[in-house]
Amino acid sequence: MIQDYIVFVGVNIVLAWSVYVILLAGSLSFANGGFMAIGAYVSGVLTVKFGFPLVIAALISGIAAGLIGVLAGFPALRTRGIYLMLVTVGIAVSVKAVIESIDYVGGIQGFGGMVGTTPWHVVGLVGLVGGGLALLSRSPLQRILDAVREDELSAASLGINPIYVKLTCFGVGAFLAAVAGSFYAHYLIHVSPDQVLSVFIVLYAVLGGTNNMWGPPIGAAIMTLTPEFVRGLEAWRPTAFGVVILCLLLIRPDGLLAFRIATTRTKAVAGSKPKQST
Amino acid sequence: MLAEQIINGVVLGSMYALIAQGYTLVFGVLNKLNFAHGEIFMLGGFICVASIALGASLPIAILVTAIIAGLLGLVVEFIGFRKFQSPDAHLTAALSSFAIGLVIIDLSQKIWGAESVAVTLPGTLQTAAVSIGGLRIVVLRLAILVISLLLMLALYVVVTRSSLGRRIRAVAESPTKAALFGINVTRINQQVFFVASMMAGLAGLALALRTGYASSDVGFTFGLKALAIMAIGGMGDLRGALIGGLLIGVLEALAFHWGLGQLADVFVWLLMIVILLMRPSGLFGTLISKEVRA
Repeated sequence: MIQDYIVFVGVNIVLAWSVYVILLAGSLSFANGGFMAIGAYVSGVLTVKFGFPLVIAALISGIAAGLIGVLAGFPALRTRGIYLMLVTVGIAVSVKAVIESIDYVGGIQGFGGMVGTTPWHVVGLVGLVGGGLALLSRSPLQRILDAVREDELSAASLGINPIYVKLTCFGVGAFLAAVAGSFYAHYLIHVSPDQVLSVFIVLYAVLGGTNNMWGPPIGAAIMTLTPEFVRGLEAWRPTAFGVVILCLLLIRPDGLLAFRIATTRTKAVAGSKPKQST
Repeated sequence: MLAEQIINGVVLGSMYALIAQGYTLVFGVLNKLNFAHGEIFMLGGFICVASIALGASLPIAILVTAIIAGLLGLVVEFIGFRKFQSPDAHLTAALSSFAIGLVIIDLSQKIWGAESVAVTLPGTLQTAAVSIGGLRIVVLRLAILVISLLLMLALYVVVTRSSLGRRIRAVAESPTKAALFGINVTRINQQVFFVASMMAGLAGLALALRTGYASSDVGFTFGLKALAIMAIGGMGDLRGALIGGLLIGVLEALAFHWGLGQLADVFVWLLMIVILLMRPSGLFGTLISKEVRA
């Protein structure tokens, strides 16, 4: 039982971070459920049908998802920010339709036989990703991301290529989601397209707030554990979390998407008025 | 046989276009994506089921659906968009409308169950057919096609010719300037949401009548596809949404004809990605909104 909690919370934390990484460069991704499904299925096929070790298979599936993300995201990013959101919806829908139509991986019935995830895999993954993000938040790269998110035009005028930055973040986010998805699948033994394609992932990330890297894991942990301990909430999950998100958005109009820490730091350095971004 | 498929495709396309008009109207005026739109479309079918079950005749059911869907549009505008009007709040607005959509799906599943609910009309309305030049066409489908085209024509005339349309276009151009000229921007937004949601609700009703049942997952499948169609036709362009909808409807019917039906969804989104690559503003220029800001 406690093992279940560790794996599910851990996987959801990494998924929330995968959305957070993409948000860092200012785009909202609804596709991470799709990337998670790609990870689950690609690594599942590799381990079950070809006998790859789990960690290698997870990495390969992550790279595959990252490439798909970059290829699909490229046309959208070349144009304007809001189009990326459209493309992410498209990826999520297409991935589901494609998986359901491939009989080799079981179609709608789902695909089974994956084993091997231990809680230590998940803990290790959370530790690695968390460590990476902590390093990132202290590196110059974080300030490049802040610049692109707050104002693409002025970032470009400083010699930063916003498309490259956004695309990299999108690829890294896809990679993380796929790795999390492959560990998830190898814990559940059997997955179906519906099961791995979660629309909640975006909400995990924003519920805790995306001010800094600690918000998404808190949101993911709350959303994963609360239904386990509050009777009756499981059935009302979409409504409950939808209403909570709406209330938070309405009470704090600047949004859960305001990057407070980043902007206060800018204020301390430059003495300028922080610009709210949503 | 092929001709019948194409006619079916045109009918399907007219429903896509009806939903896509709502997306494009909201996008043209507010520059934001309304992710709750597909769920209002889904609810349209259920409102029709409920009102027929309560003994309403078809015209009354249509009226009720249009009004309730429109009012729901006002609710979506109030909760999901009123507070997030600044040009760079598009992430917040997308997220809040997405959350509203989730709540709508979940509540409708609580009320009507997760399975689809059958719609039965009295008489032979659902099956009656005429034959024109050797083609057998179900009257209901023909009626859906004609009514959707008339609705879209009416919307186009209102937006391009009437004084309300002029105000809508002014707000689309620049809300600040429109407000300075004495236009009540909030009122315009409400009107836009009312009309868009009304059309989505009617499209949902049409789909429920055509297929014979209302189901709670059409918002995510059928309704979201209209979003891609909007991007294919051109964001914020009414003609683009119409032609894009008809085009995709026919292509999809042909795909089913040749046995590729399962991949039709993927095809639509891939087409959208390709068109974004080749012609970022869609197949057509923009009518309502000139500037699409990031």
